[in-house]
Amino acid sequence: MRTLLARSSLRHLGGHPWLTALSLLGIAMGVAVVVSIDLASGSALRAFEQSTDVVAGRATHQIAGGTSGLPEGVYTALKLRPDAPDAAPVVQGFVQVEGGNHRTLTLLGLDPFAEAPFRDFSTGGAVGDVGTLLTQPGTVVMGAKTARALGVKAGDTLPVMVTGLRRELRVSALLEPAQETTERALESLLLADISTAQEVLGMEGRLTRVDLRLKGGEAQAATLRAALPRGAELVQTSGRAGTVEQMTRAFRTNLTALSLLALVVGMFLIYNTMTFSVVQRRGMLGRLRAVGVTRGELFALVLGEALMLGIVGTAAGLLLGILMASGLVGLITRTINDLYFVVNVRRLSLEPFTLIKGLSLGLGATVLAALVPAWEAARAAPVTALRRSTVEDVSRGRAPRLAVLGLIILAVAAAVLAWPTQALLPAYAGLFAVLLGSALLVPWVTEKLTVASARPLGALFGPLGRMAARGVTASLSRTAVALAALMVAVATTVGVGLMVSSFRGTVAAWLESALQADVFVSPPSLVARRGDSSLVPGLAEKLRSTPGVEASGSIRVIHVRINDVDTDLLAVDFAKGHERTYRFKEGRAEDVWRQLEASPDALIVSEPFAFHRNVHAGDTLRVATDKGPHDFRVAGVYFDYGSDVGTVLMPRATYEHWYEDRGVSGLSLFAAPGQDVDELVARVRDRAGGEQALNVRANRALRQASMEVFDRTFTITQVLRLLAIGVAFVGVLSALMSLQLERAREFAVLRATGLTPGQLWGMVSLQTGLLGLLAGLFSIPLGLALAYVLVHVINQRSFGWTLQLVVAPGVVGQALVLALVAAALAGLYPAWRMARANPAMALREE
Amino acid sequence: MPSSPPDSRPLVELRAVTKSYAEGDSVREVLSGTSLALHRGEFVVLLGRSGSGKSTLLNLISGIDQATHGEILVEGRDLGRLPERDRTLLRRERIGFIFQAFNLLPTLTVEENVRLPLELLGRSGAEASARARELLGRVGLETRANSFPDRLSGGEQQRVAVARALAHSPPLLLADEPTGNLDEETGGQVLDLLEGLTRQGNACALIVTHEPAMAARADRVLTLEHGRLVDRPGGARGRGTT
Amino acid sequence: MGRGLVIGVVLVLAALGVAVGVVLRDTEDAGPANTGGMTVASAMGGDGGTEGYARAMEPRPFHFPEDHGPHPDFRTEWWYWTGNLETQDGRAFGYQFTLFRSALSPEQSKRESGWGTRQVFMGHFTLSDVSGGRFHVTERFSRAAQGLAGADGAPFHVWLQDWDVRSEGTGGTWPMHLRAQGDGVTLELTLDEGKPPVLQGDKGLSQKGPERGNASYYYSLPRMPSRGTVSVDGQTVQVKGDSWMDREWSTSALSGDQVGWDWFALQLSDGSELMLYQLRKKDGTKDAFSAGTYVPATGEAVHLSAEDMQLERRGSWKSPRGGEYPAGWRVQVPKVSLELTVTPKLPDQELPVLVRYWEGAVSVDGTREGQPVQGRGYLEMTGYADAPRNEQTVRSRTP
Repeated sequence: MRTLLARSSLRHLGGHPWLTALSLLGIAMGVAVVVSIDLASGSALRAFEQSTDVVAGRATHQIAGGTSGLPEGVYTALKLRPDAPDAAPVVQGFVQVEGGNHRTLTLLGLDPFAEAPFRDFSTGGAVGDVGTLLTQPGTVVMGAKTARALGVKAGDTLPVMVTGLRRELRVSALLEPAQETTERALESLLLADISTAQEVLGMEGRLTRVDLRLKGGEAQAATLRAALPRGAELVQTSGRAGTVEQMTRAFRTNLTALSLLALVVGMFLIYNTMTFSVVQRRGMLGRLRAVGVTRGELFALVLGEALMLGIVGTAAGLLLGILMASGLVGLITRTINDLYFVVNVRRLSLEPFTLIKGLSLGLGATVLAALVPAWEAARAAPVTALRRSTVEDVSRGRAPRLAVLGLIILAVAAAVLAWPTQALLPAYAGLFAVLLGSALLVPWVTEKLTVASARPLGALFGPLGRMAARGVTASLSRTAVALAALMVAVATTVGVGLMVSSFRGTVAAWLESALQADVFVSPPSLVARRGDSSLVPGLAEKLRSTPGVEASGSIRVIHVRINDVDTDLLAVDFAKGHERTYRFKEGRAEDVWRQLEASPDALIVSEPFAFHRNVHAGDTLRVATDKGPHDFRVAGVYFDYGSDVGTVLMPRATYEHWYEDRGVSGLSLFAAPGQDVDELVARVRDRAGGEQALNVRANRALRQASMEVFDRTFTITQVLRLLAIGVAFVGVLSALMSLQLERAREFAVLRATGLTPGQLWGMVSLQTGLLGLLAGLFSIPLGLALAYVLVHVINQRSFGWTLQLVVAPGVVGQALVLALVAAALAGLYPAWRMARANPAMALREE
Repeated sequence: MPSSPPDSRPLVELRAVTKSYAEGDSVREVLSGTSLALHRGEFVVLLGRSGSGKSTLLNLISGIDQATHGEILVEGRDLGRLPERDRTLLRRERIGFIFQAFNLLPTLTVEENVRLPLELLGRSGAEASARARELLGRVGLETRANSFPDRLSGGEQQRVAVARALAHSPPLLLADEPTGNLDEETGGQVLDLLEGLTRQGNACALIVTHEPAMAARADRVLTLEHGRLVDRPGGARGRGTT
Repeated sequence: MGRGLVIGVVLVLAALGVAVGVVLRDTEDAGPANTGGMTVASAMGGDGGTEGYARAMEPRPFHFPEDHGPHPDFRTEWWYWTGNLETQDGRAFGYQFTLFRSALSPEQSKRESGWGTRQVFMGHFTLSDVSGGRFHVTERFSRAAQGLAGADGAPFHVWLQDWDVRSEGTGGTWPMHLRAQGDGVTLELTLDEGKPPVLQGDKGLSQKGPERGNASYYYSLPRMPSRGTVSVDGQTVQVKGDSWMDREWSTSALSGDQVGWDWFALQLSDGSELMLYQLRKKDGTKDAFSAGTYVPATGEAVHLSAEDMQLERRGSWKSPRGGEYPAGWRVQVPKVSLELTVTPKLPDQELPVLVRYWEGAVSVDGTREGQPVQGRGYLEMTGYADAPRNEQTVRSRTP
């Protein structure tokens, strides 16, 4: 790049500070959204990995139990073997700090004497008071940092809640490891002796797992496996970590894809800015060609300008992304906690890879978007004078051809989306193809519509109205880009908005039919969508016999390994005399219930489960039971929107046949006729009284609480939608503003010939308003198409849910308003500037 | 200043050049079988009415446009056989352009505008700067070196354009209505400059105009009428140069 | 205009940069480094107070096999087997097998969890492969819960995971069966009743310092005919020899200025045994509470006090892990007319364990009442290694 040409470019950008700033903002926001989502969800995942790493330590294998862990005798038997491997027993669970922010901490119960090969929680000097940990019940140690955050000092008492039961822990010492990794590992962790952990978590006699370090590899694993009692499984640690990654993959992929939409909108913005700058300088570019600047040099010049914008915008975007990520990480963490597992993210982990990815995405998008304008610039004919109308003729001539191309792309997109596969990538490719195809249709449709609108506008507003309409077609090469950008942006918000509203509608309808009992009882659970805590033994019976209860049912939620993957298993004791509220996707209800009752080998699976594991009615599933792995027949597939990873359900009788556990995770109570429900709630609460802090909720309250959880899990999606709207807004603003600013000379002529500032303002507003209206109108069909793809293709392939597409008029209306408001605002500044400017100056300007 | 020895070979040679445009169904011939030779040291004026094809001829000679038939040679190289890139480089190295509408780059200062052709040829830095200043001095604008073009009057802008066209001492200068936007007095000054500098540099200038008065300065006067070129000596012949 | 934009961009970027810095900065500064963790060094070191524990104040009667079992009211206790073994073709081995019990608190609190205990065990198992020139060491820890470790008196049984010594006969003691493995070697021995228990010190009360209660209960089984197998590198050989067992329990033994000791358990060819220990003070001199016992082939054991013994270092051996040990000893006990030279069978029999020390098989050469006498035994030397005990993190040496 010649320095003078580069300098000329810089001055050109600087000469249009508003536009330059807006396109910088557009790039920055696009990059920021992508980077922040990536950082935030990456941080959440890494926090989880880190905590699993800490917790799994250097274990190569683990022995896991069938239900609520393992009987502890498994460990002794293992250690008394002459060929005993390095092994460490682990009791692990979550406790919630009472008071304050109710922070959830992982309580890790270990046997210090078995720990050395697995975890070092202290490096450097060790003055730990192991004696106290072992001999004083309820004693824990924790990282000094976490302690400071909780306001806890060594020697303090730390009251915590464990599934509704209050426990007092005593912090005997604070750990302040020298190494940062260890320190990080200690975040949100309470370390205790295994005896204390058992007592606090109510796991006496049980272990969560046994960590192993097998030097003999799979051969040794096989030997040990042979000696394990039924119900205990020996698995590789890596396999378990992968499950988590897989469990959240769809969730993270969708976040990433949504964030990429923002970048796509940002790309349109860059395309618009560069096209504008090329079109505006077409004359100058032609002269440069005449003076002997080659096509390659012009191409490089424009690309260089774009790159300059790209670098600055991307740099700002990375920084902005980090800032946004520190806000988003909370949202994502909450969603993950609601949906999947407990994770504490106290720190943003800045992965260089994410930043490099953001950098190359930003620069790549910029360069990609600038390719066409750069090519246009290089094509500039080296002639001395050139009127724009010929350019516009060319681009109008191209409009039908582009439209045809757009239709072809749309057809390809439809084919790709209809392709019967479960892969997400083609779905997203199809989605983006729909966007591209629609964008290509814009010039042609715009031309037709504006030509058609000239007459009614003329009738309404006189010659100014006609001029406004023609102005759109007259500068089609830029209006079309602006319109396409606007349409894509608005349609995205429509699509995502409709997807969420459809989802919500479906879930609400499902809850309505699924929740039939009057009162629901459950211990507080740390993962909102899972009910895996237990009622205190005996309490369930007591509550079920509360006066005023006509019938009652119970549910038990446990984790089991099904076909070697951790899964939630529901054991349901149905209330007698009440309709069972499950709807089946596969299998007839009567047949299914009959099968479940007839044999202890049948179970049913939820729709997402069937989808993820590719399981259908009639298939068999290998489920880890306390009597060893057993093959169950799938009697049916039921609709369920409670878990996106899927659940498996069996009657309580079947459960008790296969498992020793007799715990209860929740109750559903039907009020006797005439019994006031609120009174019953109070009575049940009373009976639970001092034994356990339980959630006792009436039907309506539970439904409401469920919807709150739902809304919470979609907050992040809504935030992304808002961000996309933000980028779209900036895009519209810059596109329309550049359009109007560019016409300064034309306006000056109009002013010179006697147009008042007010009339000029009116005309500009009319034109931008027209553009806004067009974009809004275009975005509605596209938004619907996007919503359709999101609901029926992407959601289906990500989570396996059948959802009803609900078109919420509010979302559509919002889109129109957004487009019009952005357009109106975009017209303000140019109109104001033009109205104020001295026409003579504008005329003189080149 | 480099000054090449007289060269018997023509600087520019047109051999039976025909240029026609398709206009709808009919074909309009702008040049029909035109031949022409221009030599170094010649100050040539091309007259003709609007639309007679003057600009077309300039575009053909500068390699911007291509002849329908015939050959155009610049310094012996057949433009018709050169690829687009080489034609562009030929313009860059051997031709200086002056446009009707001044056509300075608004984003560069006066001095930078003059320096641009030098930089395109890979000459930059102090030497290029000095050369630009020198030329600006000759067109009487050294004090405006750091101004942007929009601060200059039309005559000043065109003087800058002259300086720019001559910056890299091209053997061929093409000017399209250089005084078209100027009043008579200013136009005269610009033409004085142009002529003086052309002769000084032993270059060849081809100036397109529709003002017959300019013929008085020229060594040769070419007139385009209905696609044909009429060549006659100009008023300057009498002054006895070359 | 252009400059304004550049300045604007730079300002915005700078502001963002500062904001990012603020967001990423750790909000809490690190306090003073108070390191700590779940390590077992302190647990095994017995640093806690002595209050609440039983003390060895005066001689007590001993009952067997009950006293082979644990005395949980005392803070520490050990079962200590050493022995020299030989294959039929003369290949020599030495072994040490020790189980230490340590109480973490004097009172057992009531626990719901079966893991709750105040007793922990540490085990050391070494095999000196004299002919092979190798020394194998394994260290183990466990709490005395879940059947992972523990001890019983009648019948006698003490174990740490799969390491155990148990009575196989009907009388509750004899024969003892010892089994241990680690670091690629396995030892299985049957120990038969040899000489009767020898009560050390004053009828089993072994005073270690001037304060009352700074003493232990200490008895030995100085010679137990032993037979069994040793497996090294997958090769199992039959062995025979003599073992020695020391039993000691106490709450507080060493005084503050005692830095270590040299302890000898020697079995002589004339059927007699000699146990000697020298407590070393900080200044390098011999503590007055050093003591020993001479057990003749027949008849009463002879108590030896500090002035009855003269111990002289012979050469020195530098540990590759730091510290310098005597490379042998000259032992003189004029009271029973003994003059012995004690030589390690391997120079490096140091245990790089939680608390590093040297303990290994030795051969003995000398005279008894002018007559030449040979022998073998075990020598323990502590307090020579330079590493302070509390700063070592436990590293398992199990394979």
